[in-house]
Amino acid sequence: MTSYYDVPLLKRPVWKWFVPAYFFLGGVAGASSTLGLVSRPLRRRCSRLSLVTLSAGTACLIADLGRPERFANMLRVFRPSSPMNMGSWLLAVYGPAAGASAVLGSSLGAGVAGVAGIPLAGYTGVLVASTAVPAWQDASTSMPALFTASGVAGAASLLKLGGCDDESARVLRRYGIAGCAGELAAAVALEREVRDPAAYRATPLWRLSHLLTTISLLLSLPRGRNRRRELASGVSGVAGSAMVKFAVAQAGHHSTSSKSSA
Amino acid sequence: MTVGFFTDTTVCIGCKACEVACKQWNQLPDDGFSFTGMSYDNTVQLGASTWRHVAFIERPPTGDDGAGDKFSWLMMSDVCKHCETSACLEACPTGSIIRTEFDSVFVQPDICNGCGYCVSACPFGVIDRREDDGRAWKCTLCYDRLGADMTPACAQACPTESIVFGELSSLHERAASRVEALHASGHTEAYLYGVDQSGTDGLHAFFLLTDEPEVYNLPSAPVAYSKTNGRAWRSMVAAGVAMAVAAVVSARR
Repeated sequence: MTSYYDVPLLKRPVWKWFVPAYFFLGGVAGASSTLGLVSRPLRRRCSRLSLVTLSAGTACLIADLGRPERFANMLRVFRPSSPMNMGSWLLAVYGPAAGASAVLGSSLGAGVAGVAGIPLAGYTGVLVASTAVPAWQDASTSMPALFTASGVAGAASLLKLGGCDDESARVLRRYGIAGCAGELAAAVALEREVRDPAAYRATPLWRLSHLLTTISLLLSLPRGRNRRRELASGVSGVAGSAMVKFAVAQAGHHSTSSKSSA
Repeated sequence: MTVGFFTDTTVCIGCKACEVACKQWNQLPDDGFSFTGMSYDNTVQLGASTWRHVAFIERPPTGDDGAGDKFSWLMMSDVCKHCETSACLEACPTGSIIRTEFDSVFVQPDICNGCGYCVSACPFGVIDRREDDGRAWKCTLCYDRLGADMTPACAQACPTESIVFGELSSLHERAASRVEALHASGHTEAYLYGVDQSGTDGLHAFFLLTDEPEVYNLPSAPVAYSKTNGRAWRSMVAAGVAMAVAAVVSARR
């Protein structure tokens, strides 16, 4: 491969750890609100989890800016070509709704947050795929699926940690299985979709996240309730869900550091 | 009026007057005074405080005992391409990056909040964020000078007319006849980079090159993400529907 003194062609992403942390927190918030909308017994827990993760996630987003005091400029224009701008508007709708649902117990808030939570879980996958970074741009089909599924796995796992009645535990078990299985399937699809899967495989977090998600999935398969098993499944599921987003961020760094990135 | 740069690398002498003129006029900070060992290139690449970069490619003699081509240079003054379909502009969430009345791409420093999305969006690795300042910067095509009917500083300073500034369609004509003349004189390797480019719909700063784009650290097939991310939005919708179904099914008694 010809290159210019091995100088990478593309610039490395300037995002710090705040951004993959937001990908995780925002995904959890969205997936949790949607579950809360359809599951009566879990609504209060879901809306509280959404508010906490959303607040932490928004703080991460602002902290990552080069000029944090100008965060409100995100809502200066409406630019459909920019997934980041669309995400900002989505947060502007979702945030107050999630707040109203958690603090005031508003069912209108729960409804709006539950619906807005659907794109909130997945738009960050579109955001990273909408770049020139080869490992991200190549994954335009699998990335949104991976991010959405990871949000579901993370939300179900975090809710499991809290402890709950048998009815809620059944709901969380099913939701968690769907999330973990979806996350693993999307990761396999991603490796097949990108031209250079080595950018992912070179990231130890990538394989580790699959291992943890698989453990969480296997632990949640048996039907009977066992608190220890639930906790172990929750812990491994949260770790796997968060780690997969950090792995994607690192793969982007690998992908822009190589001289043949074009 | 659509204006741009035609950079003819065959007449570049590597004097770096463009780099200096750009730094001076735009009052850009230095990038450190390091020695790279990369031929005469200690600038390395375009960045937040480097808006013109002269690349130096050394081509050793070919054949035994210099029987083939002699040692030769390729020199190229690189710059922001001011793409027709501009990924940085499409990505910018604040509307800081705009298309000007000259059809150039301009970052408004009083708006930019340093989100860094444009840095990852640019398929040429041009725009970057300045660490001490937190905002994204790149070539403005001397927006301030254009407003005063002046030529951009780099083109003004170029002593060999390797950098030509002008109205885009007349630049295209000039470039086409230059390629024709080079071909007629036996330099059949000469070609234009960035005139017909499906991934960006063409560049407002285009180049006459004599080797593969990668030799100059240019991408052979740059793609603005908006050409491919329709798939991503559709996938997001499908995944969202699957998530909603999973939630409803999970919540059933």
